[in-house]
Amino acid sequence: MDALIILFASGILTMFISLLKKPVLSLITASAGLFIAGSLLVLNFDHPLNFIKYEGLIFDSASVLFSLTIVVFTLLLTLSGYAYFSKEKDHTGDYMALMLFSATGALCMVSFSDLFMFFIGLEILSIPVYVLAGTKKKDLRSTEASIKYFFTGAFATGVLLFGIAMIYGATGTFKIAEIEAFINTNDTLPSFLHVGILLMLASFLFKVGAVPFHFWSPDVYEGSPSVMTGYMAAVVKFAGFIAFFKLFSVAFGGASDYWAPILIVVAIASMFLGNLSAIQQTQFKRLIAYSSITHVGYALLAILSFNSLLNVQSLWIYLFSYGFSIVVLLSVSMLIKQEDDSIASLKGLARKYPFIGFVAILALLSMAGIPPLFGFFGKYMVFSRAFGAYPMLVIIAIINSGIGIYYYLRTIIVMLSENDQESMIKTPHVLHYLVLSICAIALMVGGFVFV
Amino acid sequence: MELIILPFIFALIALLTPKALMRAFTLVAAAASVVLVLIHACYYYGSDHLVQIFQSNSNSFGFSLNFAYDGISLLMLVLVNVTIALIALANFKSPLAEDRKFVSMLFLMQFALIGVFTAFDGLLFYIFWEITLIPVFLIALWFGAAERKKILIKFFIFTFVGSLAMLLALIGIKQWANSFSYIDLVLANLPIDVAFYVMGGFFIAFAIKIPLIPFHTWQPDTYTVAPTAGTMLLSALMLKMALYGMIRWMIPLAPEALSQFQNPIIYLGIIGVVYTAIIAIRLKDMKRVFAYASISHVGLIAAGIIIFNPDTLGGSLIQMFNHSLVAVGLFLAVEVIERRTQLRDLDQLGGIATQAPKFAFWFAVIGFASVSVPFSSGFIGEFILIKGVYDYNWIWGAIAGLSVILGAVYTLRAYQLSMYGTPKGFDFPDLHWSEWLTFAFISGLVLLLGLYPNLILNFINPSLDQINSLVQSTTLLP
Repeated sequence: MDALIILFASGILTMFISLLKKPVLSLITASAGLFIAGSLLVLNFDHPLNFIKYEGLIFDSASVLFSLTIVVFTLLLTLSGYAYFSKEKDHTGDYMALMLFSATGALCMVSFSDLFMFFIGLEILSIPVYVLAGTKKKDLRSTEASIKYFFTGAFATGVLLFGIAMIYGATGTFKIAEIEAFINTNDTLPSFLHVGILLMLASFLFKVGAVPFHFWSPDVYEGSPSVMTGYMAAVVKFAGFIAFFKLFSVAFGGASDYWAPILIVVAIASMFLGNLSAIQQTQFKRLIAYSSITHVGYALLAILSFNSLLNVQSLWIYLFSYGFSIVVLLSVSMLIKQEDDSIASLKGLARKYPFIGFVAILALLSMAGIPPLFGFFGKYMVFSRAFGAYPMLVIIAIINSGIGIYYYLRTIIVMLSENDQESMIKTPHVLHYLVLSICAIALMVGGFVFV
Repeated sequence: MELIILPFIFALIALLTPKALMRAFTLVAAAASVVLVLIHACYYYGSDHLVQIFQSNSNSFGFSLNFAYDGISLLMLVLVNVTIALIALANFKSPLAEDRKFVSMLFLMQFALIGVFTAFDGLLFYIFWEITLIPVFLIALWFGAAERKKILIKFFIFTFVGSLAMLLALIGIKQWANSFSYIDLVLANLPIDVAFYVMGGFFIAFAIKIPLIPFHTWQPDTYTVAPTAGTMLLSALMLKMALYGMIRWMIPLAPEALSQFQNPIIYLGIIGVVYTAIIAIRLKDMKRVFAYASISHVGLIAAGIIIFNPDTLGGSLIQMFNHSLVAVGLFLAVEVIERRTQLRDLDQLGGIATQAPKFAFWFAVIGFASVSVPFSSGFIGEFILIKGVYDYNWIWGAIAGLSVILGAVYTLRAYQLSMYGTPKGFDFPDLHWSEWLTFAFISGLVLLLGLYPNLILNFINPSLDQINSLVQSTTLLP
């Protein structure tokens, strides 16, 4: 609770600081706010503060862990995005404040205990992201991304609200615990509830970008500024998945016979479609977009196999490791000079900036699931937990890991190869080095520390 | 613990060493690790028990950092450190030897291999198994031939997909075991169909790495485009991981399925022996000849391992040791010729013996070791293996016996076409001392083991008996 308030307050503070038109001050305020929020979460890890009379948001140790993850990724992205944000001195603070507000929403989304608060969290999370996707005002594709994301997102929100209304109609409550009790105690469930679950499922699949609701994601990922692409892939997806897990594995767990088959089909389709499309890509950010569709497919395995609370741990490890890779890759993508970010323009990265190249390769290998990097442990945990119930699904996922290695490896070879033309890479900011070092350490030792 | 950490520290130091000192550093560091492992072999390892190097608590899903060695592992450790030292010595003259990235990757490879051979935890084994892929891939990518990229992607994907099959097998067996520690995995009582899939997963991973026919298609190309040092690493050390993995992991973990896999693996191995030997006889590129020769030799070793009786296991371990030494020697001979003439095509070579008599002598010695004449370690190994296959099934034993004849044909053919005949008009300076010394070391070791194979056998037999009794107790084998 304290972290939530600090984040919100520092967001407002950053907005006022931005009136001074000094980007550095905005950066300091925003990152200080994130840092304090993070430290409070660490300090009160065992005894998190809660609202006294309000029960819509409950901070337990799990949700504190998730909040910490969100704060860490937001902080890393704020730092590495500073070089981009500070290009427009008038608006640096605005952008950062919007990111902080969005992170506040994400915090609500991982600690809600009724559907009402969940919906509010989702909106607080989404609306700043719609705005931030369009911050490259002179770039048509950025505007397109913003509008596309907004329209499809608004539509999905409508579907979600309709689903919540149906569930309220069926169960008569917004509270997660009561919905869970209702489903577990009643033998025959009203068809209202089924429709509601279906509608909510659709809007969730939209938010996390799973097939067949993935069409927005390559365009939006490509058009948005890199830092926002990173935010969408790391934080928005994380919050979305945790909420997804809370609702479907906990609240609707009793009705899993109804939604699990749909999710199996969606997971298989996401893996194959993401991978097979990613092989064709020539643009770096589109590659990441398609590969993230594949990763959604893997993460859905964790939601499917919810037989114990340990699954939320495996889901967390998976998304946590994935987030670090995303932060690294999108920070690298910020360094590409050209407007269209083709993979070929990364040529010679590892030769010109060995450290950045090294971290980028680590991130790609971690995404591909090569041990001993963090990503391998995430993948392993998700797969092994799902193996008991869905062995065939795990085999399909492993086949997809085999397909995926191709495009990761191709990108790695591009980075390692010699560049005979003029380099497309900008000089990195010192904050980039800071962020990349943190991510490199996390990727290398994360598997042994957090698991 | 220092046994594992030291190469990693060397790999880091190599990144900071100035170029002028690089060659000396490489040799000293490699020699130091040889001395270290010999100290372990002579003093710490006394009898048949397991020497625990390091053990951590197991974490939430039963994974622990569990390093140990028994006789077999220790033999492999000696092999790794000796071979790395030989590779460092063999490449002393090449420009690679003063390249930071190369030296660093060489030691990283050593680190990963030692990890593979000392891991006594299933997931830890998998982790180190995968790490080995990175240095060898980078060495080939940075220093390989011009047309390497596609071939290396193929190599990486092939081996990675194989490893994924092993990961699946590990995930599968974990459902029946408490933790990933070796003893838990061995004691897991698998139903027969699960055992079949577990062994199948391991088999795919190992068959690709060994490589067995028909999983070998990545190998000749990769050997050819990799720089010779990379080829040495691949053939002398990397495929030994797979053979070791068969002995240590594949068979003891799922012995219930052994009888189902015995015939197919023996057939694939023996067919590979003959098929690749015939291809090797027809080839023009020297490096490719020895690449196919390597497949031919290891096919027999794999067949010997899967027969799984103490005699053939001992024979296959001797043959593994021998194969590593000979592979380094043969690829060094190719490298010696290539360094001086930039040629590998047997048609364009010839008459070297008159210009470089020392090289001709040592190449001949290594050639004979590869043909496994009596008094070489190859003779002992191959004899035991062929006898083992013969006892198992005499027809296949007779076919396997062809390997001796065919091996002589392709090795001596390559020797004759390159060394004898009319000189082709290129200048061929004789051996540098580092090259000469490498050949001498290899020949000495081959001769020593050929005369006194008990040096190895005494070492490994207690551990082999242990594994054997473990397997016998859980299987219905006679």
